[in-house]
Amino acid sequence: MGEGASEARGWIRGDETAKQMLSRVLKDRAFLLLPPLHRVPLRAGNVVEVTGASPAAKTQILIQAAISCILPKTWNGIHYGGLGKLVLFLDLDCRFDVLRLSQMLKHRLLQANRLGNGAWWQLEESNVRNCRSAHEKSNTAFDEELYVSCMRRFLYVRCYDSLELLSCLKTLHYRIRQQESCGSQVGVLMIDSIGAFHWTDRLSSSLAMGSHNRKSLSLTNVVETIVLEIKKLLQAHSLVVIATKALIYEEKYPTNENNRKFSSNDELSGNAAIKAQQPPFREFMPSSWQAFVTHKIIIRKSADHHSSQTGQESLSAYSLEWLQPQLSSIDQFIVDDVSKNLSQPLQV
Amino acid sequence: TEDYVFVKIAVEDFLLHDLYQLAAFADRQKNADRLKEGITVMLSLVELRCRPWLNGMELLEDLQRNKQTLSSGDKGVDSLLKGGFREGQLTELVGPSSSGKTQFCMQAAASVAEKHAGRVLYLDTGNSFSARRIAQFGSSSETSLGQKVISRISCHTVYDIYTMLEILQGLDVTLRSQVQTNVNEQRLRLLVVDSISSLITPILGGSGSQGRALMVAVGYMLKKLAHEHSIAILVTNHTVGAGGEGVKTKPALGETWKSIPHVRLMLSRDHKNSNCTISILKHTSMPSGQTVRTTIRKDNQQCV
Repeated sequence: MGEGASEARGWIRGDETAKQMLSRVLKDRAFLLLPPLHRVPLRAGNVVEVTGASPAAKTQILIQAAISCILPKTWNGIHYGGLGKLVLFLDLDCRFDVLRLSQMLKHRLLQANRLGNGAWWQLEESNVRNCRSAHEKSNTAFDEELYVSCMRRFLYVRCYDSLELLSCLKTLHYRIRQQESCGSQVGVLMIDSIGAFHWTDRLSSSLAMGSHNRKSLSLTNVVETIVLEIKKLLQAHSLVVIATKALIYEEKYPTNENNRKFSSNDELSGNAAIKAQQPPFREFMPSSWQAFVTHKIIIRKSADHHSSQTGQESLSAYSLEWLQPQLSSIDQFIVDDVSKNLSQPLQV
Repeated sequence: TEDYVFVKIAVEDFLLHDLYQLAAFADRQKNADRLKEGITVMLSLVELRCRPWLNGMELLEDLQRNKQTLSSGDKGVDSLLKGGFREGQLTELVGPSSSGKTQFCMQAAASVAEKHAGRVLYLDTGNSFSARRIAQFGSSSETSLGQKVISRISCHTVYDIYTMLEILQGLDVTLRSQVQTNVNEQRLRLLVVDSISSLITPILGGSGSQGRALMVAVGYMLKKLAHEHSIAILVTNHTVGAGGEGVKTKPALGETWKSIPHVRLMLSRDHKNSNCTISILKHTSMPSGQTVRTTIRKDNQQCV
């Protein structure tokens, strides 16, 4: 009887307190804020889909989010605000330009350096006032060692067709384990872009001569397998998936800023319900992928921005809108030579 | 005695199935160990097929060591593109008919053959290639290009997309089997397809997936060639009516093609004078919208 009582007491007492459990869960499945996707905090296991017609700066968004991930939180006393984790970049578009990543990373490091060493910089400036090397100093005032360690946290592979993609996903678990044994953790899995082999896979569907026992290499089967493999990865490792998707059908009635303004007038006449139900673009991904995605963003091109600061004639301006979860504000941003500037959100 | 189980399965079948389910299925069979061994062998074969993951520094190293920037032959374009065409990238030039696309291509071919001492493969679809004209694109207006430089450019006439695919596949095999002793000596640096839209447009008709799948296959083959053999590829495309508000013309080949080239340039010509404007529609490391004005070189004239 005594044994049973102590056993029962042990069972009731539990393994850990609520505080311990919360601190463990928050550490493993912490909220991530990845600019420029920082309007909605992301958690491990989230799958974010960024849709936009080409060109829409989708890859730029991935690069900026990647930089937020590979930067450390602090280094040598300067606060960078990053996650210090690895980024796995699956390039299905095969167009990734590492120069752009390098440019944007250097710019971020310079910015953080200037902010971090504010007082020091002003002091230095007065000391080296008419010295030409001051300009050079400003260009190299970032930590080379930090730059290299950040670039090494960016892992890249390209796939030229669906079979290569499936092969890569199947062996990804072991590669991540290898990295984790070296002490580095993976933060984000990026896919650019998810609909790249759509037409090729659709053709395989129509040409499939599989018998009943064999699973044919069709579009639905390929996408189902991709979703399955990523789901297994998400179970084993805590990471966020961000995938870009280029539109493959032309929009007959492109929804741009002007159309949105008209729709707000239509609300009075009761057309709001119809407008809200109209999908912003023609969806082509199979339902297995659509059900897998937890967050959706759409990028549209807005009117060209005339920048008086840089003196350039016109820079491309884009708008970023969260479709899922639906936010009422839309971010506007422009892409210029050194960075991507997020301007004030436009209240719609 | 051991039971040998012969299972006729292709790698594709293997890739489409869930490994854990396969292993669980194997467990239920009599010779579970042998089957599991087979699965492990297949997995190692799959892993051999996979490319290795490269980190950011390794990507930069490959870029700086292997992928040089080739001058286009026009100073304005070179300054717009920060050097010119990059090896490993697919550059598309879009323009209406008789806007000077072929001239641009021939000028680029001459520039690569002369300044970078590289071989050029020119695929001509419209019988517009002219060796005499290319010879005039030398850097000095006095003398035309010498025989040695011209011989670096080889031209093939291509009338349909299947011939082009054959040529590209043959090129891939040839380049793979060549032993690179001296990287800079006489290797293929530029591939020109003038114009790729005339090869693709005939097969794009209708809403079926065959035409677009073939277009995507061509695009990926070009990008793979460019990346693996460090070649710059220049293709031309024509324009079609846009039918919308504002913009009158747009590039042909549709929405899917937009994601294929690394760099897209728009060429427009002012027919009153011989001025051309080239603007960036898309670039992997530069914002779009920037333009440059240049002058078409007439016979025996200097380029401004």
